[in-house]
Amino acid sequence: MTAYTKQDVLLQATDVCLSYDGTPILHDINFSIRNIVRPGVNQGQVVSLLGRSGVGKTQLFRLLAGLQKPTSGSITINGNKQVEAGDMGVVFQHYYLFEWKTIYQSLRMATSQNPVLKGNEQEAIRKWAEAFDITASLHKYPQQLSGGQRQRASIIQQLLKGSKFLLFDEPFSGLDVCVLDKVVDMLLQVSVADELNTLIIVSHDIETSVAISDTVYILSKEEGGATIKKEIDLVERDLAWHKEVRRNKAFADTLDEIKASL
Amino acid sequence: MVLLQVVVALVLWHTTSNGLMPQPGKVAAALIHLSTTKLLIDNVLVSLALTLKAMLYAIIITLGFAYLSVLPFFRSIAEFIVKCRYLTLAGLIFVFTLLTQNGSALKLWLLIFGIVPFFVTSFLSVIVNINQREYDLCKTLGYSKWRTLYEVIIVGKADKVLEILQQNFAIAWLMITMVEGLSMSEGGIGALLIKYNKYNDLTNVLALQLVIFFLGLFFDFLLATMRRWLFPYTTLATK
Repeated sequence: MTAYTKQDVLLQATDVCLSYDGTPILHDINFSIRNIVRPGVNQGQVVSLLGRSGVGKTQLFRLLAGLQKPTSGSITINGNKQVEAGDMGVVFQHYYLFEWKTIYQSLRMATSQNPVLKGNEQEAIRKWAEAFDITASLHKYPQQLSGGQRQRASIIQQLLKGSKFLLFDEPFSGLDVCVLDKVVDMLLQVSVADELNTLIIVSHDIETSVAISDTVYILSKEEGGATIKKEIDLVERDLAWHKEVRRNKAFADTLDEIKASL
Repeated sequence: MVLLQVVVALVLWHTTSNGLMPQPGKVAAALIHLSTTKLLIDNVLVSLALTLKAMLYAIIITLGFAYLSVLPFFRSIAEFIVKCRYLTLAGLIFVFTLLTQNGSALKLWLLIFGIVPFFVTSFLSVIVNINQREYDLCKTLGYSKWRTLYEVIIVGKADKVLEILQQNFAIAWLMITMVEGLSMSEGGIGALLIKYNKYNDLTNVLALQLVIFFLGLFFDFLLATMRRWLFPYTTLATK
């Protein structure tokens, strides 16, 4: 088994509840994400929140992104800071970008928010565009890009903003097999780019999410709203950080276990 | 195809015209004659100047109310302006005469009053239909409310302003003939039209209608071209 330790809490959700007009959507959501440290590797965290369609994943996504306040409970990052909009990098489903800005202009919007990049904005954009193979598309509008290119541009935009937390809403939805592999590689590339990078994937694609995660939380519906029903530590099961993990029998068993819990 | 339709329409017009209705040839001759006179050019310039001035004022007023409509106090005012579409200008001429200093100002403000409700209606509908994701993206980038307003509504919808101008230019152009009839001393294409109508000079009336029609089409084309040139993304096909 790969050597690792789990250290400081990076994100903590405590008793998070959400209801609309008295109708409970989420209740008592409790989970935490810790900094995983692996000797010799800049190992970030990849956490998946899995659940059936309509269970409330998108609502939880909005709470984590700070776009909405929970009815009760709290979500804190970096110690005790309540999550606010702008704290997290957020990659929406369908990779929304402003239609009236070129990719370069969209990326500049993000770099202007990142004080660390001051004076090196162009260099940072060039570096990430090259790494994600969209240099040729920098001066194009989003309408001129394919779905895969939009996704990459959207991820770079959020990376350039400087947040260590990156939230993905259904990143594997509607992708063909070839593009899906590229997206998986890209997410893994981001996860090891910095020790503190933390990817939170909200998805209903169990297999792909489990294949790249270190921890899985299962969200399922109960009376009184959806809640986290189960936590699976994939590192403990030796299912994390292996490229060929899908061939492992334990991986298939874990998928069955998750499906049974949904 | 279009050419054929035009030819058929002209032939129908020519064959069905009786003594009262001038034939297309006569109207065309009147149009050519009018085009060579200083009278038409002077009057067209007067009308165009008034329309463009009114459009400029109207768009400034519209943008002011539309942008401020994100604040609850101004929202109700903007909604009231939208309802003003149902007011007829004819019933307000005396009120405007009392409120303005001279015929020129009367025409200008009547035109502005006539255009603004349509502009505000169109622009409010653009603001109301803004995709929530546009605001969300700004929030996730850590933008303040004012920066979000600037990026999403002011910059993001600038192309819509030109689109609304293009759509509503027809309304302004339609009203110009009516308001110019109120104070004819300064001339204008509307005043000229009323004069020809008064003497039942149907040939020149129709020739003038053609001038109004073609000028309208020209400005429609001009605004569409400007929009494509200033905001190239509006004409891009989604990949």
